[in-house]
Amino acid sequence: MDFDGARGSREVVELRLQIENLESRLATLKTQLAVAEKKDILTKSQDDFVAKPSIKPGTEDSHGALDFTNLKRGTLTEASHSRWPLQNEEYTRYGRQMILPEVGLPGQLRLKDARVLIVGVGGLGCPAAAYLAGAGVGTLGLVDGDTVEISNLHRQIAHSTATVGMSKVDSAIKYLSSLNPLVRYERHPEHLAPSSAIDIFSRYDLVLDCTDRPSSRYLISDAAVLTGKPLVSASALKTEGQLVILNNPPRSPRDPAGGPCYRCVFPKPPPAESVLSCGEGGILGPVVGVMGVLQALEAIEILVAGPIVSDASNGTVEAEPARPTLLMFSANSQPQFRSVRLRSRRKDCAACSSAATISRRSLTSGLLDYQTFCGTVAPVDMLPAESRISAAEFSNLPSDSRGVLIDTRDETQYGICALPGSINVPWTGDAKSWAAKASSLEDVARAHGPAHVVCRLGNDSQLAVKAFQEHTERFEAKDIRGGLRAWREQADPEWPDY
Amino acid sequence: MSIPKPPPDHCTILYFAAATSYTKKQYDHLPTPFHVSRLPDVLEERYPGIKSKVLVSCAITVNLDYVDLEEEADKDNDGLLVTAGDEVAVIPPL
Repeated sequence: MDFDGARGSREVVELRLQIENLESRLATLKTQLAVAEKKDILTKSQDDFVAKPSIKPGTEDSHGALDFTNLKRGTLTEASHSRWPLQNEEYTRYGRQMILPEVGLPGQLRLKDARVLIVGVGGLGCPAAAYLAGAGVGTLGLVDGDTVEISNLHRQIAHSTATVGMSKVDSAIKYLSSLNPLVRYERHPEHLAPSSAIDIFSRYDLVLDCTDRPSSRYLISDAAVLTGKPLVSASALKTEGQLVILNNPPRSPRDPAGGPCYRCVFPKPPPAESVLSCGEGGILGPVVGVMGVLQALEAIEILVAGPIVSDASNGTVEAEPARPTLLMFSANSQPQFRSVRLRSRRKDCAACSSAATISRRSLTSGLLDYQTFCGTVAPVDMLPAESRISAAEFSNLPSDSRGVLIDTRDETQYGICALPGSINVPWTGDAKSWAAKASSLEDVARAHGPAHVVCRLGNDSQLAVKAFQEHTERFEAKDIRGGLRAWREQADPEWPDY
Repeated sequence: MSIPKPPPDHCTILYFAAATSYTKKQYDHLPTPFHVSRLPDVLEERYPGIKSKVLVSCAITVNLDYVDLEEEADKDNDGLLVTAGDEVAVIPPL
């Protein structure tokens, strides 16, 4: 054993120990130097193309840019006083990932030095934040204007029954702080707005898009391009998910070697009426969870790898245009994961090309309206009053005046709860074929009195009543205003609120 | 569900997300060859309305590579041809 062999001379042992200590101190200093040098190069190359942020000194909140500078200085001073670059607890806490050659001490120091912004603290943002906090990312900023609802909890793992009603940002920080108190958490308990996006993004190194609607995806992508930040973007709905790393490397908008942005891949937003939220389309917890975990993985890989010193900066080799992959996950397909190669930057991209029309000014001044760009869906209100009946009135009708009751929700929702005697004719989106199908049903054709139509929220049922009126002989059809939600509020408080 | 191989002289069209909902299918086998820029018209014939309701915002890949339909249309006859055995994916933003 080593101990026995070394027992011979106490002096030899002591000298060896001293050498070992000095060597490890030297190794640490070399690592710190390498990290500092690379950071220097990155800062310089970013300064080359990122215009100075238009923040006036002294106007920041407590998490402003001034704070950031002090923090960095503080970390360095602290490290130089200690024998080791990390605190003892950090070696223990992060040891399992630090012993991976892909991470090592340099990788851990880069994570500690990193500032990551997570936009959206829901199904994607919760697992992403948890793994990034666990991994020891130095600063995590969280943006979300919503409060925790009980219907979030099946997938939004940082929130809990006890934090229902609390702001999602505060609820997540409560969870994350108990997971890892060594991380600095920054609160942005608001919806990301074009006017503030540039200011907020400027304070971070990397951004995660964990939101759930097209308008925020375009805004986040534009702001990431304008501030020169790589963007890890994911989305999930029903049983499917998508993951893509955009604007990486984050070159200046005129440089075709930079990674494409969201607009390069999806230049046209989907028609507003086709966009489903998780509340409308449904979402399986592990599906969105897997996508959020993958976002954390990609973020860690980018941060640990450190800044890429491109050949182009040496003036020798022209950098190849970056073409990222889009990873698609589909729980019900075989294989579940597919990955396709995307395009390089679009020559006429509105955000990241030399023909770009989107500027910091167009965001901060509010000239760009993302809601208008993506379209909005006005609540359906298409029927005259005589074709509608309130849920309360309907519940008070004697049973022989109720006529026939048609429920236009899909079979799955109808299977969760249905009104007694109702007939399920799922709305198809096509008025003529739906009306033909509904009126051909024996129970509908035979029924005396009006057809009452109900759905979940009272939109499809109006379309269905109109379809009846326009495409069938049956003119007497009435919409139950506000659907089954109104039924619950006005007639039956025990009705399932799914 | 795994996707079967297409019959001779056919390609496979894979549908994702909103494209699956609209076609109510995970895939189609379509006769080849055709210019990829014609894909929206080919699908519109089978699924009326799909062009404006779904395809307008989709990313299209052929054999796992992104294809810009407008750029391909500008190339006229030099545009990418979808041939037998090719796999085309219709990918709406999620």
